[in-house]
Amino acid sequence: MAIDGTKIIHAVMEGSQIRESKGIIPLFGVYLSLFSVGYYNKLSFGFEQKLGKQREAEAEALLTRAAQECGYATFQGIRNSWEWEEIVDPMIDKKDDQITGFAAVAVAFGWGDIEVKEILPEEKLRIRVNDSYEASGYLERYGAAASGKCYMLRGVTAAFMDLIYGAQYPDGCFDFVAEEPLCRAKGDPFCEFVAGKPFYQYIA
Amino acid sequence: MALFDWHGELARDGHKVILSGQPVAMHCHHYNINLQKTVEETLGDEGIRLLFSSVEEASYYSFQQLLDRYQQIKSLKSKLEMAAILFQNCGLGVLHFNRVRPGGGNVVSPSSHHVTGWLAKHGKRDTPGCHFTRGWIAGALEAIYRRPLEFYTVEEKRCKMMRHELCEFQFKVA
Repeated sequence: MAIDGTKIIHAVMEGSQIRESKGIIPLFGVYLSLFSVGYYNKLSFGFEQKLGKQREAEAEALLTRAAQECGYATFQGIRNSWEWEEIVDPMIDKKDDQITGFAAVAVAFGWGDIEVKEILPEEKLRIRVNDSYEASGYLERYGAAASGKCYMLRGVTAAFMDLIYGAQYPDGCFDFVAEEPLCRAKGDPFCEFVAGKPFYQYIA
Repeated sequence: MALFDWHGELARDGHKVILSGQPVAMHCHHYNINLQKTVEETLGDEGIRLLFSSVEEASYYSFQQLLDRYQQIKSLKSKLEMAAILFQNCGLGVLHFNRVRPGGGNVVSPSSHHVTGWLAKHGKRDTPGCHFTRGWIAGALEAIYRRPLEFYTVEEKRCKMMRHELCEFQFKVA
């Protein structure tokens, strides 16, 4: 059975209207918040700007790492939640269907029109996003970029592979790394993310 | 508060989630707290100011739009009530605007997304840590009082991340 993204979106939109008395949204095993994408963009790109040109690579690594750690913990919580068991699990036939399920949840969260283009089990994941809020936000604030700017989606792409093909949770975070070879912020028609094993693992 | 239709404010436009006409993203405590920790640890006070101003700006423009849309909400009490409803419905927690005047006042939060998330991930802090909520309060009040951005400063006098009983914020004209 294929993953039905519409069903997942419906569940997220329904669930996100339920709050406990403390004003917290507990959904898919995590505490969710809804906030303007402008905030996330100003914070991430402001951080990068403050570190300056000389520390650009460090900013990129820190933001991607923060997202990868988050994606790893978040989607571990999600795949162990009762909502996943009830809604997504019945649609899963094979191991890598989980990645398509993760992507559908990410679409439901408003992270972009995420599409899984290629999965090579244990090796590679390629994801395409036509409308990433990070790329749009960068273009709006700063104009064309010289490199990929979708740090959140890049980290999350690697986290998907960590969870499915990395060491058993919680030891598999950073078993994979992701790059963003194509990004709308630097003039490409869409953003594309490719996760694979880090180079040093091939040498070993 | 019947005048403010929260459910009508949250919608989808294809893959986008829209709240009061603005694109929003649903993010969980893992990401929000990781971002805060990364920015704070790397940039120190400058990072804290960046966190504050990023939220302040977003909250300010969201509120301006809402106030323009709900022009029938006129009294300060109703506007503050709308702010508290919005904060809660966004899963950000509970805010009580206790003593609020144009020149300053006091806001209390018995629970919040960032406190719950921080304590779950990192435990007790030695310094106040609700920079997100400080910025959110500043932006909302600047919009409500029709003041420009950066008009208010917000200081956190007590913080649940430090295991105080609640978070207490004092705002005043900068």
